Amino acid sequence: MAVTLECRDLKFTYQNLPVLDDISFKIHSGRFCAILGRNGSSKTTLLHCLNRILSPDTGKILVHGQDIRAMDQKKIAQQISLVPQEHLDIFPYRVLDVVVMGRAPYLRLVQRPDRSDYELAKKALCLLNAEYLAQKNFNRISGGERQMCLLARAVTQEACIMLLDEPTNHLDFNNQYHLLTAMKSLCRSKNISIVATLHDPNMAALFADDLILIKKGGILAQGPVNEVMTQTLVSALYDTPLGQISIHGHKKLFFPQTVLTGQKDRIETKDTIK
Amino acid sequence: MVKGPPISFNTKGTLLALTLLLAIVFLASVSMGRVFIHGADLFTLVANFISGNGNPRDLLSQELVFWWIRVPRCVMAILVGAGLAISGAVYQALFRNPLVSPDILGVSAGCTFGAALGLVLPFDSFYLVHVMSFGFGLAAVSMSVALARVIGVKAVMILVLAGMVVLSFFNALLMILKYFSDPYEQLPSIIFWVMGSLSRVTWENVLVMAPFTLVGIVLFIALGFRLNILSLGDIQAKSLGLSPVVFRRLLIVASSFMVAISVATCGQIAWIGLIIPHMARAIAGPEHERMIPITALLGAIFLLTADTIARTLSTAEIPVGIITALTGAPIFGYLMIKNRGSGWL
Repeated sequence: MAVTLECRDLKFTYQNLPVLDDISFKIHSGRFCAILGRNGSSKTTLLHCLNRILSPDTGKILVHGQDIRAMDQKKIAQQISLVPQEHLDIFPYRVLDVVVMGRAPYLRLVQRPDRSDYELAKKALCLLNAEYLAQKNFNRISGGERQMCLLARAVTQEACIMLLDEPTNHLDFNNQYHLLTAMKSLCRSKNISIVATLHDPNMAALFADDLILIKKGGILAQGPVNEVMTQTLVSALYDTPLGQISIHGHKKLFFPQTVLTGQKDRIETKDTIK
Repeated sequence: MVKGPPISFNTKGTLLALTLLLAIVFLASVSMGRVFIHGADLFTLVANFISGNGNPRDLLSQELVFWWIRVPRCVMAILVGAGLAISGAVYQALFRNPLVSPDILGVSAGCTFGAALGLVLPFDSFYLVHVMSFGFGLAAVSMSVALARVIGVKAVMILVLAGMVVLSFFNALLMILKYFSDPYEQLPSIIFWVMGSLSRVTWENVLVMAPFTLVGIVLFIALGFRLNILSLGDIQAKSLGLSPVVFRRLLIVASSFMVAISVATCGQIAWIGLIIPHMARAIAGPEHERMIPITALLGAIFLLTADTIARTLSTAEIPVGIITALTGAPIFGYLMIKNRGSGWL
């Protein structure tokens, strides 16, 4: 499997405080990589360094072996797209007009999207079963629909790497599954590498292929899900004792130990749901 | 069925309708005034100008009023109205804030102070007034943005509040200037700038103003799609391949220059930069490539109408800034009610 994105010895400081320290990993094509970590563990900062929204102090980001410092912002945007956290726009743009903004990296300075760009935007919405949103006001659709719209914009951007910043924030249970299923499906069908920061380790266990665990600006562990998603590592990541439930013997769900047992001092719980 | 084309038939129809309306308002405006020019005389004046023939004797006074007072004044109203309205639209997109305008961010106050300083300084020059106006206008917007950045929370409201601080500062400087200026010559000139008026417009002013305004309008229309992206904020703009800092600087300088040249020529005309973009959005939607041409036309129609009212309502001319403020405030109130729940209210 080809390496699409490589991060080497990345270091980022903010106001002389180390935020990210010695971060190195590789992302392969067609793989879904989830980044897990506690609030404030610099997951978003890492994503922003990957597409040069922020400039790291040291280290290299390579896309297909090419250092992104040698690329301008437009070229980077042709290779890496970003789905930001759910937000409201100031102006009430139509969904189709938000999605077509994904074509910006391919347009000249004074060029505006033409019919073919709008066709690509419509196809992206169709791919995510969200074509019914096209004419709606972006600010008046639900949080889940907004995320779908931003995901469609990233698809329209036709980049080989897609970064998703906490895409399941503010989404209900059903929408979280719907969105992550759509992402996983994109990852496979278009051979896109996806890097997503997630809050829920169980969602990561269900949908991700690879995991990067970030703690205090450094990497605690990384690798395929079945190797990294252990009770010890996930407990250490969140600084809280976690119990786990196995489903059909292999899928694991994590819960705080106290929730599973009702007792603070019990650590071991291995119930099995058949 | 999803509609595809970026510019719909309705937008083109609206542009055509507004252009026609502007032409009608222009014809009405050049006819109206203390010397009323009837339709037939208007036609004769224009036809004789095109053919190069002299006008009959009874039309000579009307010729003077028409070609040397009314036409340059109406053309200037169109240029200033369009320029101020577009600058407001660009500011609102750049700062992601529908409540900002060149007035609110202190730009107009900075420009007015600069123009007044240019008037008071010993080197009496039309260009010095323009340069000072532009310099202080740019300084004002930079101060507002810098102050908002230092405070750094609740960006939308803080920028408006920072603008009010800068506005008060430049108003205070203007008061100092007024206090120390010569009450017989300099003070009336400064008051003219503060209240805004098109009464002293000449063809020379129009010829200086026109190229900058037209280039600005073309530039902003051409960059309309980029403005949409910039209005999403820096993170999204960068992720979509745009360098927000470069674009923002370019567009702030260009739009501040348009405001400065308007203020240096006609004084401070309030409200246009705030309400006209909202009216245009209500008609054409928020996409800048569609709303900017409509903003320009609406701004031109609004100021031309306000100026016509200002000089025909009574025997003594009323400063046009009073008319724009009197009409602008209730229109903005109405637009706020109409747009509630659309994202920014």
